[in-house]
Amino acid sequence: MPGSLTMARTAAEVIRISRYASPCELFAARSRSHKIPARGQKDFYPDDSEEQRQRLQQSLDEHWNLIAEERVERLGNLVKATWVPSDQIVELQTPAGKFWQTMGFSAEGKQYLLPEEALYLMECGNLLVFHQDLPLSIQDGYEMFLSSDGVSLQQYQVFGHLKRLGYVVHRFDPSSEPSSYVRQLNLPQSRERGGRQLKRKRSPSPTPTCSHTKTTGESLAEKMEDDDKLPESHLMTSAEPPEPQTASPHSAAKGQARTWWMMDAPELEADKISSPGSPSGRLRWNFSTIPFPDLGSTSRPRCMVPVDPSLLPRNVTVGVCDLDSWMRKINLRKVKMSVKEQQREKRRRRWDVNKDREVQRCRNWAEYHELLARRQAKRQGRPAHLWNREVKPLHDPTQPISTAELLEKISVVKSTNLLEGASRLKCSEEWRICFNVYQPDSVADFKKSNPGKPYSRMCVCSFDGPVPDLRVIKQLAFQSGDVPIVYAVVDHGDISFYTFKDFQLPRDVYA
Amino acid sequence: MEAPPCSQVEELQQEQEHGSSLVVGLSLCDSAPLLWRFQDLKTVRSNSLVGALLGSLPRTPRQNIRLGRPLLLMPEEERVLREHHGAAALSARNQDAAGAAELRQRYEEEQQRSLEEQSILALEDRKSALLRAMTSSSGSESGAGSDEALQCRLLALEQNFSFPRSALAVQLSTARAGLSQCQEDRAFLEADWPIREQDSPRRDARYQVFRDLWGRGFFLTSAGKFGGDFLVYPGDPLRFHAHFIAVCLTLDESICMLDVLSVARLGSNVKKTVLLCSPAPDGSVHYTSLQWSGMM
Repeated sequence: MPGSLTMARTAAEVIRISRYASPCELFAARSRSHKIPARGQKDFYPDDSEEQRQRLQQSLDEHWNLIAEERVERLGNLVKATWVPSDQIVELQTPAGKFWQTMGFSAEGKQYLLPEEALYLMECGNLLVFHQDLPLSIQDGYEMFLSSDGVSLQQYQVFGHLKRLGYVVHRFDPSSEPSSYVRQLNLPQSRERGGRQLKRKRSPSPTPTCSHTKTTGESLAEKMEDDDKLPESHLMTSAEPPEPQTASPHSAAKGQARTWWMMDAPELEADKISSPGSPSGRLRWNFSTIPFPDLGSTSRPRCMVPVDPSLLPRNVTVGVCDLDSWMRKINLRKVKMSVKEQQREKRRRRWDVNKDREVQRCRNWAEYHELLARRQAKRQGRPAHLWNREVKPLHDPTQPISTAELLEKISVVKSTNLLEGASRLKCSEEWRICFNVYQPDSVADFKKSNPGKPYSRMCVCSFDGPVPDLRVIKQLAFQSGDVPIVYAVVDHGDISFYTFKDFQLPRDVYA
Repeated sequence: MEAPPCSQVEELQQEQEHGSSLVVGLSLCDSAPLLWRFQDLKTVRSNSLVGALLGSLPRTPRQNIRLGRPLLLMPEEERVLREHHGAAALSARNQDAAGAAELRQRYEEEQQRSLEEQSILALEDRKSALLRAMTSSSGSESGAGSDEALQCRLLALEQNFSFPRSALAVQLSTARAGLSQCQEDRAFLEADWPIREQDSPRRDARYQVFRDLWGRGFFLTSAGKFGGDFLVYPGDPLRFHAHFIAVCLTLDESICMLDVLSVARLGSNVKKTVLLCSPAPDGSVHYTSLQWSGMM
């Protein structure tokens, strides 16, 4: 019956199986097969049939054969190294093999491997590590190289999983990551990857690139000021704020209002001058305050208002406009009106305000004015009961507004993106990025001194632990810059990989 | 499900009375219990404890489909072993100077012996290869002439043969060679694995459910990827698919309807039945299965 206990074999048998292989067995291991048997189809339910029992036994035997097999290698194929516990590092004694292209580092003329890299190479059968002149077993490696202070068992599981798939995996060092501004400037990167490991006891030295980029950044900003293309400077995405000098020619020339520059300005008539606003406001025109004279109406045109010089391009002056000649050129053809329209015109011309019953009901001028105001409001779609109270409608339907802006106005929940406010967050103690991961096909021309931008960064956690909250996700995403973060969740033998991506709901076609 | 789960425990006690106790050696790595010795893995599996393999497979290390030793135990598996006095601590690596010097000497001697033996084996191998080649090429000819030539060739081979140290085949052991070397050390293997886990109602509930299902003969593995606590197999996971996803809850824990829906949906997607399991105060466990029935 499955589940009943079976007796362990006798002690002698135990000893025979688990001791070192004899030289004869080692020699014979040269011609071992390198294939693993494919797993067959599984059954659904145990039915105590002999066939099932046999298949199970066969699967188990295959399984045990694979598990029991030990790693046997020619001594000449193995790279030898020693474990240095004081530095938590593995020092190579013989020259490194092919793995040197993506793993390890040089320091003080010697070659070193990080503990997780050494353990992985031990498991691959490429490396033989000695400690106190005795070779370490894989078990020794696990117990001595992995700890919660350095690389934990879960982190090593993720490391090993990715390495076995072919990825290049390096430890993540937050202080040696260039900021997005530095990357924008495309400065040559230099990485002193290994030296940092050995100098771990000292405080981390500030990277030399930081101060360098600050000075170049400043000189670039100065160049922008001297440039004549001043409006463009407002639109550049650089981190430096636009210098006040760039806007000074504008404000110096006209001390007048820039009412049509600002979206939030109240509706003004053209000849009113409001207080000068800030010139670095948004460059949007408020057409409701720019008067366009209506010369085509049948009523007599008013006098032409002089054009605000700030509306005109530089070096263009406008004199007095002779309206008469223009008026003679328009309204030359008689407008063809339908019967209904003709009747409407006749009614309009004959309209006598005194015949209006509502007007007759007004007893004084005040009431008449109220009547007019009410009618005006209704016509404009601004009924008094809505607009004359404390709580007004959010938007006047007669005013033009784009869909995006309208959605902005009515939105209670504002959409945001992942990195908003992320720079203010402090680093959390439990959550940190562990590894940089580079793609397998980059191995051929991979350079340890200049690995380039990683494919992704790994943060290792487990199903037993807490789920990363928004704060953690934001903080780690900010620390990672433009490289996506993958959360590797370890659940005993299984690893699941998750990422969080920003998603924008579409709001407006032109927004 | 009314059968009491004590049959398992009784059998174990009977085994102990017979004097052949089943003990496996656990060692901690970063506070996780690992099994390294091949025999221990076999023992544990024959008692329907599956565990999870973590290491590279020696034959094909650069793939993730089949992994090799060590075997990681779930906290529930570890506790079951401990409560049945089946878990013992493996000795740590010998760090003291005197012991190390002796081991070093033994290692050197073994290497030398291995080198000599393998050298002889290699020579034999080459001789027989030469013999095969010569007899097959000169099959039709026979007589003392070819025999002499053969002997000359063999002699020359022996004189010029050298087996360099770099050709020596060495073993990179998976498990540390320790107690299994000496028979008397087994007596010192006391099955007194300490209690490591903190008590929490959740962990306790999980353990009660695990013990009950294990006692009924099911194989259980962890089911984080399936949104539950355990995957329940009717037989060895090598040959059978899992039938149930067990979600462990204490009797007084309330569960949100959305969680029930999501786990039921997940279960139906992977074609497994979801079991809500709650241990009762009297030691039994209440099971409720969820079935997704559509509207016809």
